[in-house]
Amino acid sequence: MAGHAGFVEADNAEAIITRIEHKSRKIESLLKQYKPVEALKTALEGSPPKTRDERCKSANWIVVHRAIMAIKDVEGMFSSLDPEYYDILMKYLYRGLSTGDRPTCDQCLRIHEKLTERAGLGCILRSLSDTVNTV
Amino acid sequence: ANTLRLYLTCIRNTLEAAMCLQNFPCQEVERHNKPEIELKTGPELLLNPVLICRNEAEKCLIETSINSLRISLKVKQTDELENILTKKFLRFLSMRAEAFQVLRRKPVQGYDISFLITNYHCEEMQKQKLIDFIVQFMEDIDKEISELKLSVNTRGRLVATEFLKQFI
Repeated sequence: MAGHAGFVEADNAEAIITRIEHKSRKIESLLKQYKPVEALKTALEGSPPKTRDERCKSANWIVVHRAIMAIKDVEGMFSSLDPEYYDILMKYLYRGLSTGDRPTCDQCLRIHEKLTERAGLGCILRSLSDTVNTV
Repeated sequence: ANTLRLYLTCIRNTLEAAMCLQNFPCQEVERHNKPEIELKTGPELLLNPVLICRNEAEKCLIETSINSLRISLKVKQTDELENILTKKFLRFLSMRAEAFQVLRRKPVQGYDISFLITNYHCEEMQKQKLIDFIVQFMEDIDKEISELKLSVNTRGRLVATEFLKQFI
């Protein structure tokens, strides 16, 4: 089963990276139209959870990072973001916080506070305990 | 100051979620009870470690396991003097780790100070108070180091003035 998963990943890695590139173009166009919330939703949607491939995860992280940095109004974002995205957003926030880059960390800390208020501690705990679908 | 507040809030929330410890006797050796975060005997007992950076200089690593939690802090050090003061002051505290109970004698590699909280601590002490302690510690450390730096500079200036008076 591990071997089979290995094969699936090797084929899919290229497919996933192409998909991520499509996504990033779509997100750029959404950002130009000043729709940062839609951009974030698109970025979080196709997150490849089952891949172990670091390149796919990094590529997706770059895309999500772009969308997160473009958000100015955090409160407004939460009013239009569906709850199903909270968990995956939390995982990406922790990845952002681990980078150590000052503007990224500032933005991530701001969003983290509001997200915890909204989603509660369960969201944090799910991102800590999920060792299978890491971001 | 605003980022400090956000940074501490983030750490507080993460700690509240991560401090879910229960007793777990060692799986390999009978009648032994070890903090799993230190020994890492099995991947099923560990949660994802979380690194929260405020900026390039300050960060906080929180690692949890089933019966223990390790918090490592890197304090901001802007110049050589603060570097030395921080090292000496935190070494002073770490040497007296027995008195603090939750302090670790040696900081984790790459950090200035580490805390080790086990399920026994959570049973004896209140979880909220433990978290308050850690966050208060982080706030006070900065104040302490700047006070120390100020007193060192003042003392240095006084000594130099006195010494050089003889040459006037």
